[in-house]
Amino acid sequence: MLKQNDCKFSLNKNGFLQAEINGENVGRVKIVCTQPLTNPYEYISVISMEDVEHGIIKNITDFDDEQRELILNNINSRYFCPVITEIASIKDKMGSFYFDVVIGKTPKNFMVRDLTKNIRQQGKTVTITDMDGNRYKIEDIDKINSKSRKKLEPYLY
Amino acid sequence: MNSSSSKVKFDIDKSGNYCDGELEFDGRIITVTDGKAKKEFDVNECDELIIRGDIGCGYLEYKPKGTENNDDNLLVCNFTMACINDVGEFSKVVNHYILTGELTEVSTEQNHVCPKCGRHYMHGMDMCIFCADKAHFYKRVLSVAKPYKKSIIIAMIFIVLAEAANAVVPIINGHVLDDYLYSGNKGESVIHGILMLCALMVSAKVLGQIFQVLGRRSVAVYSSGLSHSLRVMVYDKIQRISLKNLSKKTGGDLMGRVTDDTEEVKDFISEEVLYALYQLSLFIVIVAILCSISVPLTLLVLIPIPIGLYIYYMFRVTVHIRYMKQWRCERRGNSVLRDIVEGIRVVKLFGAEQREISKFDAICNQLSKICISNERLWAVTFPYVTFFIGIGEFLVIFFGGRMALDGEITAGQLLQFTLFLAYLYGPIDWFSKLPQKLGRVNTSLLKIFEILDEKEDMVYESNDIVPTMKDKIEFKDVRFGYTAYEPVLKDINLTVNKGEMIGIVGHSGVGKSTLINLIMRLYDVDAGTICIDGQDIRDFSPDNYRQKLAIVFQQTFLFAGTIYDNIAYAKPNATAEEIINAARIANAHSFIMKLPDGYNTLIGENAHNLSGGEKQRISIARAVLRDPEILILDEATSALDTETEYLIQQAMSRLVKGRTTFAIAHRLSTLKDANRLIVIEDGRVVESGSHTELVKQGGIYARLVAAQHQTARLKN
Repeated sequence: MLKQNDCKFSLNKNGFLQAEINGENVGRVKIVCTQPLTNPYEYISVISMEDVEHGIIKNITDFDDEQRELILNNINSRYFCPVITEIASIKDKMGSFYFDVVIGKTPKNFMVRDLTKNIRQQGKTVTITDMDGNRYKIEDIDKINSKSRKKLEPYLY
Repeated sequence: MNSSSSKVKFDIDKSGNYCDGELEFDGRIITVTDGKAKKEFDVNECDELIIRGDIGCGYLEYKPKGTENNDDNLLVCNFTMACINDVGEFSKVVNHYILTGELTEVSTEQNHVCPKCGRHYMHGMDMCIFCADKAHFYKRVLSVAKPYKKSIIIAMIFIVLAEAANAVVPIINGHVLDDYLYSGNKGESVIHGILMLCALMVSAKVLGQIFQVLGRRSVAVYSSGLSHSLRVMVYDKIQRISLKNLSKKTGGDLMGRVTDDTEEVKDFISEEVLYALYQLSLFIVIVAILCSISVPLTLLVLIPIPIGLYIYYMFRVTVHIRYMKQWRCERRGNSVLRDIVEGIRVVKLFGAEQREISKFDAICNQLSKICISNERLWAVTFPYVTFFIGIGEFLVIFFGGRMALDGEITAGQLLQFTLFLAYLYGPIDWFSKLPQKLGRVNTSLLKIFEILDEKEDMVYESNDIVPTMKDKIEFKDVRFGYTAYEPVLKDINLTVNKGEMIGIVGHSGVGKSTLINLIMRLYDVDAGTICIDGQDIRDFSPDNYRQKLAIVFQQTFLFAGTIYDNIAYAKPNATAEEIINAARIANAHSFIMKLPDGYNTLIGENAHNLSGGEKQRISIARAVLRDPEILILDEATSALDTETEYLIQQAMSRLVKGRTTFAIAHRLSTLKDANRLIVIEDGRVVESGSHTELVKQGGIYARLVAAQHQTARLKN
């Protein structure tokens, strides 16, 4: 397990995350979540660009604000998962499900196949993975408007 | 579909928000604009562009010249997975330019998004289900049905006649009521009249049945012919499409197109198109008859129908979605149950019985809730829906009854009206189901025409030149990738002299099999050339070129048929003597002769009745019969026991003699006869030389040899 004293993160001159582990500069690294859906900020792995693991951080709360922000920024940029605010329609075309949604204020459409695999509900959070591998999230199913919830509800399972 | 440009889109800005970004390459500078900022990168100072994939996104890096690790790389842009193919193609173009100075265009053929509506194409399709011109497809598919025009017309006539005969019954009923029962006449003549009408009714029914049978017979004739034509068309095209295009679709998907989709279209043409005309004419005739009896009553019936149809359609859509959820829940329950039953020993070993019971209980509970909710919806809504559609019947009883009492219509006419009304609901019900049927057939049509219209991207030269290798095969700056963003082979330069045996070595997934796929011309190179005696292999027709090749795979594939047929597959006009000789050279003859049916032994599906070594020897015999100039051995002796391996090695030695051979093997000892070994790593040839030379070099090959010796020692 890596503790704050064991590693120090910073951005290199070109804006990529780099790390110093046990006093040694290991160059560029990436942060990989061991449980990205259920527990994204605990047990996160620090891995080199050549896919060699330097160690695992138990919890990002063990780090100070500056270090935590660097870690979080890397996670958020590596796990791109925009939040759906509204569902306009879901059309079933022979097992391909066409979603018309709104993300922030931007309309977006995507297609999902194999609902069991690609629509996953963890508590109140719903994660949808589209045909290309893009992910979208509804952070709290109870907080989106009732029309959107009614449209999504039959596809949750 | 396959357009080209030097620009591609990307869609995430520096802050991680969606943007409308663009990457452009003009042959010197890469310009990146994301709507807010503009950056420029000089390609002359670039070593290569690197694509990195993350989760739901990726990014493009610029590696400056003269840098060794990734620390000096610059970020070019971020993008979602929707853009990864385009950005991959872009980086391929730039990297190719860096290497060769040649500027090619960005291909967007791997783009699966409709340029018109922006929606993703359906799985395995390169057409948009929303925007495709379906009328055009209908016209084309109806042209396939043209040869069966006569049978279709005959079927239509008989079906209309059958229904016309049935429609006589309500008219007779009306006459029975008006002319005899309510006429006030009595006596023999009335009985005689009623009997005559009964006989007429029976005759009409019998005639109706006869017409029905004749109609169905005609349908059977043309529908089977149509099914055959469609299947052959699709299958024929699949055989001619390049492997690159075919590999975008799964085997199951292609089989589905030949069988299920053609069947769906056949059913639609043979049943629905026929019945659409019939139902439409029936509807018009019935409405005309109803109007002839009473126009106000007919309007009472017709007015609620469109609203009822719409409600009925919406109800069916809702019910379908809900029952799909129920089906998914049931499937999940079954899957959990299967896991528990099949893994019962593991469950018991870990003392997890209670946990598994709770898991199954939770799913059953959820299923029960979904079932109750669905049944409730069905029970509460369906009667209202049907009531609304059929509300005309009640209105007819009330208003029609009053009209009969007032003498505006007779009792017989009222009876005729109500009986004909029942006929009206047939076409209405049929038309309410039409959108669903159209949806299904549209998808199938799109899938079929996607195959039929598939561009044959591999260049098929029309010349009849059969290549004869006199000197060498050369690979010049060959680059290839199955997808744009993952090049598998990079800058392969290799010269192989006639009769030389080349061993191809490397870790799994480094591109060894891809290299032989290119030699076989199952795919065309993305850049560079493969030449035989200076002539690009793309100048030959694939059929002529492949006449000179043979391959022995690790996974031998034998077709259902006899052993004789399977060997003769390489040369269909081979004599029995040639086949037996080939089997002898392949060390297959002796085991074949021990089989009761010898060369006539039937090989079942997947050749389960033969051992791995036996299958392999048949496959070698096939290669021997081909008498190839270029031979490819792809892990041909792996997974065999020592004795079998000896027999196969012996057969192989005879086979490779005098032929230019490319052999892939993980077990390096099997490459002992190779004149030269090449080591592939990360898509490039990194080492080349004899076994001794490579071991001396102390590189990848030497490490692989050491690792295999160690494994062998551990086994012993």
